[in-house]
Amino acid sequence: MNRILEHILPKVQKPARYTGGEYNAVVKDKQKVTARFALCFPDTYEIGMSNLGCRILYGVMNRKKDIWCERCFAPWGDMEEEMRREGLLLYGLESGDPIADFDIIGFSLGYEMAYSNVLNMLDLAGLPLRSKDRRELTPLVVAGGTCCYNPEPLAPFIDLFVLGEGEEVTLEYIDLYRQARDDGWSKEEFLQEAARIPGIYVPSLYHVAYKEDGTVEGVTPLDGAPAQVTKRIVQDMNQSYFPVKTIIPSTEIVHDRVMLELFRGCIRGCRFCQAGYAYRPVRNRDPKLLAQYGKDACQDSGYQEMTLSSLSSTDYPCLMELCDDLLDYCAPRDIGLSLPSLRADTFSMSLMERLQRVRKGGLTFAPEAGTQRLRDSINKNLREEDLLQSVRTCFSGGWNGVKLYFMLGLPTETDEDVLGIADLARKVYFAWRECSPNKARGVRITVSTSWFVPKPHTAFQWDAQIPVEEYQRRVNLLRDAFKRDKSITYNWHDPETSYLEAIFSRGDRRLADALEWAWQHGAKMDAWSEYFDYRRWLDALEACGLNGEFYAHREREKDEVFPWAVPSVGVSREFLWHERELCYQSQTTPDCRTRCSGCGANKLLTGGGRCG
Amino acid sequence: MADRLLFSKTGRAKYISHLDLMRTFQRAFARAGIGIKHTEGFHPHPFVSIALPLSVGYSSQCEILEFGLVGGAEADEVPGRLTAAMPEGIVVHRCYPGERKLKELARVNYIVNFEYPEGRPQEAEPALGELLNRESLVVKKKSNKAKAGFTQVDLIPLIHSWNLECQSDTMTLDAVLSAQNPGLNPELLRASFCEAYPQFAPDFVTFHRREVLDGEGRAFR
Repeated sequence: MNRILEHILPKVQKPARYTGGEYNAVVKDKQKVTARFALCFPDTYEIGMSNLGCRILYGVMNRKKDIWCERCFAPWGDMEEEMRREGLLLYGLESGDPIADFDIIGFSLGYEMAYSNVLNMLDLAGLPLRSKDRRELTPLVVAGGTCCYNPEPLAPFIDLFVLGEGEEVTLEYIDLYRQARDDGWSKEEFLQEAARIPGIYVPSLYHVAYKEDGTVEGVTPLDGAPAQVTKRIVQDMNQSYFPVKTIIPSTEIVHDRVMLELFRGCIRGCRFCQAGYAYRPVRNRDPKLLAQYGKDACQDSGYQEMTLSSLSSTDYPCLMELCDDLLDYCAPRDIGLSLPSLRADTFSMSLMERLQRVRKGGLTFAPEAGTQRLRDSINKNLREEDLLQSVRTCFSGGWNGVKLYFMLGLPTETDEDVLGIADLARKVYFAWRECSPNKARGVRITVSTSWFVPKPHTAFQWDAQIPVEEYQRRVNLLRDAFKRDKSITYNWHDPETSYLEAIFSRGDRRLADALEWAWQHGAKMDAWSEYFDYRRWLDALEACGLNGEFYAHREREKDEVFPWAVPSVGVSREFLWHERELCYQSQTTPDCRTRCSGCGANKLLTGGGRCG
Repeated sequence: MADRLLFSKTGRAKYISHLDLMRTFQRAFARAGIGIKHTEGFHPHPFVSIALPLSVGYSSQCEILEFGLVGGAEADEVPGRLTAAMPEGIVVHRCYPGERKLKELARVNYIVNFEYPEGRPQEAEPALGELLNRESLVVKKKSNKAKAGFTQVDLIPLIHSWNLECQSDTMTLDAVLSAQNPGLNPELLRASFCEAYPQFAPDFVTFHRREVLDGEGRAFR
């Protein structure tokens, strides 16, 4: 191990995060590989190692003999301080070598509040932040993940963005990179060529013009770059790589268990949900294959817990069959099986009993809105009676805690909808009184509300986030409504991060300056309350002459050119606009399995196939 | 009596904490297909217990873990199969039935290496010798039990024997210290030395556990 690192580690918290060497970590001979890739997650080890996408890409790359992919995470403050003091550059966990010496540095972008960490990690690596200041081809700095469907605030820092699922395209651009490096292409030559690969968005190849009112006038492709870049998908989930053999951390992480990905996409079509649109079309894995993956993954990892992980796992068509298969394996071995996302309407006692035979803790439901009218508007097709039936079942079965999640500020929301949240929570409480076999134990009903953030590529991409004063007023309204309910706890989300998310998720390239300003003034780890400083971000916007409300609280015209004009998730703008109109009429859209609504995502299936 | 493993923990594995190490063993047994006894009660889990928790950052070649071998492997297969299922730096050397009580583990032999990359001051060696030769060396020690949050401990009676060896840029203390009730963490010796002789404070110190011993100074297994 590096001598400086060895001297630093005794001084920092949880040093096992910084050493590598875990079971299944891949170590190769660097002389025998032709491309070295640093897979960077802009948050702590505990968060990043819980990300299934990174585990998939790590496996996909390391399966290739001539590619060595290593991991890199954002160091916590104490470690960063020591690294900077001792001049230790950000390194790959497997080799300990500085990532600045790698061929490609790839960031996974899952949430906007990690952007400051991207800049901080580039700086810790000893690299210039801006793409144009990194003149050489090597190291190439790329990024993928959900945020890349509008990556504009990061555009000046990243050489290329990868849209969609990375299993195939990653190997394609690595091949092109090797050709470019070996043949001595300039970085510009490489990027122009890379832009021809489907799913690769090279931000420097687009000129963005703005109108006087600050909106985008147009985005012009340069040097033959395509006008639209459509995300990549895996065609057949049964053929795609699944990380059965994956790194088992030697220290505790957030999701410390086997994660079994049942399918991609979601049939539901909730109008606020970016994932619901961005991961279309639905593609299932075969239940027999999944059962085998699950067993093999338990065997190889030694984990005592497995979770079925997809956007809406209870919508998996063969769920019962799969659960039976897995339980036959798990039950005699004391391996716990859980479902992280439950929909109240498909929820049944038998499934619940089958999965959680021992622990009867809390259950979580996300009705998102308090009234049927508003749930119809956002196309959260969850009926009150289904929810109440589900909680009755839970309470009769001995559960005594329920968490309910809602959003405030959804389009068309009225005070009646806000107060409907309190009514619904009270009905849940009465269901407990009616059904609980043991009332002496009491009940915990927790209601949590967040401030709705409109996201790009959703039906609400045109909508304004409600102003902060209005959000506060609705919080207070609801809080007052709960005053007398002793069994109901009400939590609400602080508005600061939601406001910044609203700015950056639909932001344009001009925000890059604010991001850099905030970083220069100490921004990092903004998803952590220990580090987040709201004032700093407001100052950053002001210093760069930007108006946060323009991005967050402004309703867009129907035909406004969005900053995310180039990236496409395969869902047509017309469809999204139609969905928005249906929202304002409180009309629902059936799920994709009941009826295809023609969003366009099925065109991504090359076999001309049907989704679902 | 329980079955025991003798294992070493070096290199990158030095930084795995005691609790994480127990979890790592529980999983490694499962990975290796070796059945071990579970705890009884409401949440049964695989039972493992490590004698004398090692501080994070220390290396060791003589760690002892207790467990109950149920099946899936013969005792002589366990070291090889378990080591293959371990993170880098943990090597299992032996698997054997425990014969002596853990409380007979009375002393620990540590190798404490004081590093002076710029060259070791000549006087560092006699200074450390002077410290260890004192009649008593009372230090404040953190304590969760004591009301004040710390207790006074005399280190000298807890040091059974020691020897110093020096190179041009290192000073190596080979010491046999009391293991438990109370035990002496060699970090306290380093801290006392640096407090008494700040001018000879080393750049860095490594700690290595070389052997665990019984009251007579024989290797404990």
